[in-house]
Amino acid sequence: MKENLMAKRILVIGANAAGVEAASAARKKDRTAEITLVTQEKTAGYSRCGLPFVIGGQIPSFKDLIVYPSAYFQMLKLNLKTKTKATAINTEEKVVTVIDKSGATESLQYDSLVIATGADAFMPPIKGREKQGILSLRNLEDGEKILEAVQNGAKSAVIMGAGLIGLETGVAFIERGLKVTLVEMLPQILPAMLDADMAKLVQEHLQEKGMCILTEKRVEEFLGGDKVTGIMAGGEKIEADLFLSAFGVRANTKLAVDAGIPLGESRAIKTNGKMETDVKDVYAVGDCAEAPNLITHKAVCAQLGTIAVRHGKVAGANAAGAYSQFPGVLASAVTRLFETEAGVTGLTAVAAKRAGIEVVTGAISSKTKADYYPGALPVKVKLVVEKESQRIIGAQIVGGAEVTQRINALSFAIQKSMTVRELAKADTAYAPPLNETWDPMVLAAEMILMRLR
Amino acid sequence: MVKVENFEVPEGLYYSNDFSWVKVEGDKVRMGITDYAQKQLREIVYAELPEAGTEVKQNEPYGTLESVKAVSDLVAAVSGTVEEVNAEAQSQPELLNEDPYVKGWLVIVKPTNLQAELANLMDFDKAVEWHKNQGK
Repeated sequence: MKENLMAKRILVIGANAAGVEAASAARKKDRTAEITLVTQEKTAGYSRCGLPFVIGGQIPSFKDLIVYPSAYFQMLKLNLKTKTKATAINTEEKVVTVIDKSGATESLQYDSLVIATGADAFMPPIKGREKQGILSLRNLEDGEKILEAVQNGAKSAVIMGAGLIGLETGVAFIERGLKVTLVEMLPQILPAMLDADMAKLVQEHLQEKGMCILTEKRVEEFLGGDKVTGIMAGGEKIEADLFLSAFGVRANTKLAVDAGIPLGESRAIKTNGKMETDVKDVYAVGDCAEAPNLITHKAVCAQLGTIAVRHGKVAGANAAGAYSQFPGVLASAVTRLFETEAGVTGLTAVAAKRAGIEVVTGAISSKTKADYYPGALPVKVKLVVEKESQRIIGAQIVGGAEVTQRINALSFAIQKSMTVRELAKADTAYAPPLNETWDPMVLAAEMILMRLR
Repeated sequence: MVKVENFEVPEGLYYSNDFSWVKVEGDKVRMGITDYAQKQLREIVYAELPEAGTEVKQNEPYGTLESVKAVSDLVAAVSGTVEEVNAEAQSQPELLNEDPYVKGWLVIVKPTNLQAELANLMDFDKAVEWHKNQGK
């Protein structure tokens, strides 16, 4: 390939969901640009979301999580530098300083920069937190360490935090035969995803499967010598062989902050509709960036793989000189924990109240097939509706199956500003082995209409 | 035909590091992309191919393939003059996904330096080994 001296230089810091998507989108818009990705990890282009399922054994090996092998980067002419850490951004000179695996420093010039530095596992200031053996699950090496501990004969685990990572990993541990105790500071599990009434259904299912769940218990101290052997939580001493810190993640913004790139109200990197930061030609995407929630219009840092790739696609196009807008976030998300699926889109009732939105809710318990059809599983749909406009602003579903595509349908409904009155008349599909004649989404809308009378 | 990690590698072809295959047919060669390449690109929606008469050079781009997700240069595996272009693959790029080695061929080239250039390509045995190291 001949060197093109006029080629645009696009630099991406980070090479997972958001970074690779940005680089790919940039390549689609500009066939001659010099596109470089740097990542401090040894592996690029893998799925973080898949990590718990390698630990659980559903996926045979961590290398199966690689979505983009080196051939992909070769085919798209993306210059990938692994084990290379970006240490400084100079937005005046348009230069990023990096240190490669040999320790050599290099200055990379850019015309457009995409920051996709992700997020780091968060550890609250708990006494004894410097002890060895407190694991977290964020990257491939973390996953390998945890799996190694399991395979080296760990019999019990304490998980701190009842978010998606904590619960999905807890399920994986139980599937590997470990005894699991989960400690959560708040009164419910999945507090960022579900209202308490819906979370209770998931919690009961997990308890039936043998997970010991302790809510309203704050981790006060890590016990043991150099190596952690137990925790104090709510005045109770809990010992285990394996400790997983799943308190949540925080946007990794240090590089941006040091370069004078402003953060927004969510403490992630502030962006406009083009995913451009307050500094011209510098974009931010994925877990380190914020974007407006479609309902509250407030900036949020959603930290989901789905949002990361959507950010990336928009920023990559803009970085290459094309035009694209990111519409905003509903933060639709689903998970599967043993035989229960849970999903959310838009706001929970609690999140709506916090945003000053008055809501009416309705929840319907139904089955995934006609009630008389063998194998019908329970499914519960909860809708959250804004009182004055009667628009649907959120939905949560917990059930044995059929959750994801209902969440998607309700996400579309919210994005198109559908009212609960329209949903109550909606046309849905039915056959005895597949659904009830009245879909529970429609019945939940009917319930809310009655409450609005 | 063998399958390496779910990727088809037919015998009797030469292969390049840039995911192309070459079939020697008398004094001409037929070129296309490998099964591995089409699986990386996924559903191909656009194939930009040269016109007959165009000179192509080994290791240099002669066209572009675009899928929903990706875009990739076609890199010539041998040098020569394009004699024929697969119009069917151009109008129905899905042929590249469905049948990359037969119906999805891309160009027929009259080579200018074939014997020397074939030495730069992989034969079947080498291509099988190469595919094993590619990752899915």
